[in-house]
Amino acid sequence: MRRGFPLLMTGLALAMMADLAIAQEQGINLPKSIEAGSVFSVRCSGSGEGTVYIVGPGQVLRRDVQLGSTTSFPAGSLTHAGRYLAILSASGSSSDAGSNPVSSFDVVPASEPAKISFLARPSRLPVDIHDAITGAVYLFDTYQNLILTPMPVSFDLTNPSGAGQKRSVTTRDGAAWTAMDSSAHDGTDHFVASAGDVSSARAVVQVAGDACNLRMSVTPSDGKLVVATDPVRDCSGNAVPDGTIVTFTEAANGSKTTVDVPLKRGIAKVEMPEVQGAIFTVASGVSLGNQVRWEK
Amino acid sequence: MNKGGLLAVFIFAVTILLVVAGTRWPVPSAAAYAGGGQVSRTASSPEAAVSNLCDRIRAHAWDDAYNSLANKARFSALDFQHDLNGTYPGLLTYTNLDSFEMQPLHASASDAEIRLRLKWATVVGPSVTTRQLRVVRNGDRWQVEWPITSQPTLAPEVIPVNYLRWDVIDRGAGDDWGMQNVDAPHVRIVDMHPVQRAEGTVILGELLNDDIYPAYVAVTATLLRKDQTPIATEGSFDKISHVLLPKQVTPFLILFPDVTLADVGSVRMTPFSSLIAASADPVIEIQSQHMSPAPDASLSGQLVNQSGQVANVAHVLAAFYDSTGQVVWIADQYVDRALLPQTPTPFDIHIPEDLARKIASERTVVASYSFGGTES
Amino acid sequence: MICCAAFGLTACLAAAQPAVRVEPSQPQGQQALADQTRSAAIADYLGAWKSMSEALEQNRPGLLDRDFTGSAKDELSATIAQQASLGMRSRYRDLAHDLQFVFYSPDGLSIEMTDDAEYEVQVFVHDKPLAAQRMHARYVVVLTPGAARWGVRVLQASPQP
Repeated sequence: MRRGFPLLMTGLALAMMADLAIAQEQGINLPKSIEAGSVFSVRCSGSGEGTVYIVGPGQVLRRDVQLGSTTSFPAGSLTHAGRYLAILSASGSSSDAGSNPVSSFDVVPASEPAKISFLARPSRLPVDIHDAITGAVYLFDTYQNLILTPMPVSFDLTNPSGAGQKRSVTTRDGAAWTAMDSSAHDGTDHFVASAGDVSSARAVVQVAGDACNLRMSVTPSDGKLVVATDPVRDCSGNAVPDGTIVTFTEAANGSKTTVDVPLKRGIAKVEMPEVQGAIFTVASGVSLGNQVRWEK
Repeated sequence: MNKGGLLAVFIFAVTILLVVAGTRWPVPSAAAYAGGGQVSRTASSPEAAVSNLCDRIRAHAWDDAYNSLANKARFSALDFQHDLNGTYPGLLTYTNLDSFEMQPLHASASDAEIRLRLKWATVVGPSVTTRQLRVVRNGDRWQVEWPITSQPTLAPEVIPVNYLRWDVIDRGAGDDWGMQNVDAPHVRIVDMHPVQRAEGTVILGELLNDDIYPAYVAVTATLLRKDQTPIATEGSFDKISHVLLPKQVTPFLILFPDVTLADVGSVRMTPFSSLIAASADPVIEIQSQHMSPAPDASLSGQLVNQSGQVANVAHVLAAFYDSTGQVVWIADQYVDRALLPQTPTPFDIHIPEDLARKIASERTVVASYSFGGTES
Repeated sequence: MICCAAFGLTACLAAAQPAVRVEPSQPQGQQALADQTRSAAIADYLGAWKSMSEALEQNRPGLLDRDFTGSAKDELSATIAQQASLGMRSRYRDLAHDLQFVFYSPDGLSIEMTDDAEYEVQVFVHDKPLAAQRMHARYVVVLTPGAARWGVRVLQASPQP
C-alpha cells in the first residue's frame, strides 16, 4: 500500500504532462477578419480528431474537424457581424476551460448596402417651413449588419411639379441624416434616400392652412335650395383638402337645419329646405364664412 | 340501505318526476322564453289579447302574431313584420323584444284602447317604441287591430355620387423598425367641462379633428384628487362620434359613477386618434331641429340621408350650450330605422328637465353606419 | 485548483458592477440630447447587457423581450436556439463600458452610440467549461424607443479602429 501510492502519483503526473504536451501541440488559426457570409477556413494543428466551436452573441457554430488539416466553411456560414471566439476541443483531451486553444476574430459587414432603414418625419406638415422635414438613414448589408465604413447617401425631396431639393451626406458609423424645407405649395412630395443600388421612399404631404374667406351662395332648385361654397382656399391661396368638413346652418321660424358636408373637388354643396326668410351660415373648423338671407 | 341512501334515491326520483312534468306540461311563459313557442292563453280580455300578441312577437312567431290580428286583411304578414323590424336592415332587425308595458286608455264591452310600450334589446342598449292599439271583441275573444305604419319604399333610380374615400397603407413587413406609419391624425379637445349629476361626475366636452385625414377618435379622462392621486379613469365609450372627417367636431360625454365632483382636484384628458379608412358619404342632413321646453324637454328633428346609400344605423349626438357658450349637457339617441336616401326619419332626444332651462343653443352631429361598410 | 481559483475569481468579477465611462461630447444630429434621455439610454443599454448575459447563459430567449428589438433580438434569439441545439451555453460578463453618443436622429427616433467594452466570455458544452476568454471590442449600438424604455436594435462589435 505504501509502495503503491508513490507509483500512482507518478503515473498521474506523467499522464498530466502528456496531456499538456498534446495541448501545446494543438492550435487554431484563422483570419483576423472575414466578411459576413463569405467563405473562410480554419486550420487546426495537432493530430487526431477534434471539434471547432465558433461562438459569438450573433451566431454559434460547431464543426467536427481533423486536426492537422484545414477545414473550410462555405459561404453563408457566418453572417452576423461581430467579434467571435473560435475554440478547438480535441477528442480525448480533458474538458478544461483553460486548456483548449482559443482565438478571436471579427466578422465585418459586406461593403455593399442591401437595405436602408429610412426614418422620415413628419409624414405631413404645413407648407413653407424651414428645415422641417428630416430624414435619417442606417445602411445595412444583406445580412442586416450595419455598414460602418463611410458611404455616400443621397436624399431627394421632389414635389409634384418635379422641382425639389437634393442633399448628399456621407455616413458615419452607419448613419446619416438631413433636414429640408417644406414646399411653398400644398401637395404630396416624394422623399427618397438612396445609397448604392438601394433606395427607400416616403410620402410627405404639405398641407394647406385653414379655410380663408369662406363664401357660399344659395340658389333654388326644384323646390329646394342648393347651398354651395366657392372653391375653398387657405390664406395663401392653397386649396383646402377634399374631405374637409364644411358646416351649413339654415335657421328659420325657431328651428334650424344643419349639415356637415365634405369638400369634394374643392367645394361643398348640399340641398337644404326652402324656407322664406331663412338665414344661412357657413363654417369650417374655426373659420366662419358669409351669411345669406333667403328671399324669393 | 341506510337513511342517506334512501334520501338520495328519493331526491333522484323526485327530480326525474319534475323534469318529466316540466317537459310534458311546461309553464307557457317559460316555454316562450326558451324559444319553444309562444304563450297561447285565451284572449278573454283586451290585455290578454295584447299580451298574447307580444309573446308571439317575442318568439318571432310572425305568422301567428299576424293571424291573431283583427285587421290583418288590410296588410300582409310581411308588411306587419317590416313595420316592427324595418324593411331595410337597421337597429331593430337583429333585436329581441325584451319586455312590454300596457297602459289601458279606454275600455267598453266591444272595444278598448291600450298604449303599448315595446322595449327592444339592441346591440347598443334598450330601444323603446310606443304604439296605441285598438282591441276589439270578436265573439268570445278579443283581437288587436294593429296600427300599421307604411314603410317608405324607394323609387328605382340612379343617384350619382362623387365618391370620396380614404384608404390607409400601413407600414409593411419590411419596416421592422415599426416607425414609418403615417402620423396619427392631430386631434384637439376644444371644450371640456366637468359637472355633478345624480349618477356621478360627468365630463362634457368636444373634440376637433384638426387634420386633413379622417380619424378614429376616443377620449379617456382620469380624475385626480387634490393631492394628484388618481380617483378613476373612464372612456367616452359610445357617447362620442368615433369617426371624424377633417375639421369635424364631436361632442363627448364621460361618466364617472359614484364620484363626487367636490373630491376632484383636476382632470387629465387623453384624446386618442388613429388613421382609419373612411368614406365622406353618406352626408346626413339634420332638418327642422326644434327644442321643446321643460317639462318633457327634448330636441327633435329629422334626419335626411343626402346620398344614395342606405345608412343602416344612425347615432345622433347633441351638445347643449348655455348663454355663455359653455357646454352644459350632451345627449344622444340611436335611430332604430335605416336611413333611406332622401327620406326624412325623425329623432327625439330627451333633455334632463333641470338642464333644459339653462340651454340657449345646441349643435347636433350624426354618425351613421352601413352594414358591410364603415362608419362615417 | 488553478481552474477552481480561476472560476472563483470570475464569480467575484461577475458580482461586481461594470465600470462605466461616458464621453461628454454631443452626438451629431439636429437636436441636442437631453441629460434625461442620455441617462435613460445608458441605463437601458446596460440593462440590455444583463438581459443578454442571462438569456445566453440560461438559453431563454424570452429574457430578451424587454431590452432588445428588431434584428438584434432576432439574432440573439437565433443564437440561443443554436446553443440549445448543440447543448451549449455561454456566459457574458461585462467588465467595463466606455460609451460615446455618436448620433441622435431627428424627432428622437433613434440613438446611436459606440461602446469600447471589456467583457469575459465563458463557454460551456453540456455544462462542462469549454473555454474562457477576456475580450475587448468596440460595439456599435442603435437604440430605438419602445413603450417604456429604449430597446437595443443593433448591437454589433467592430474591429478596433
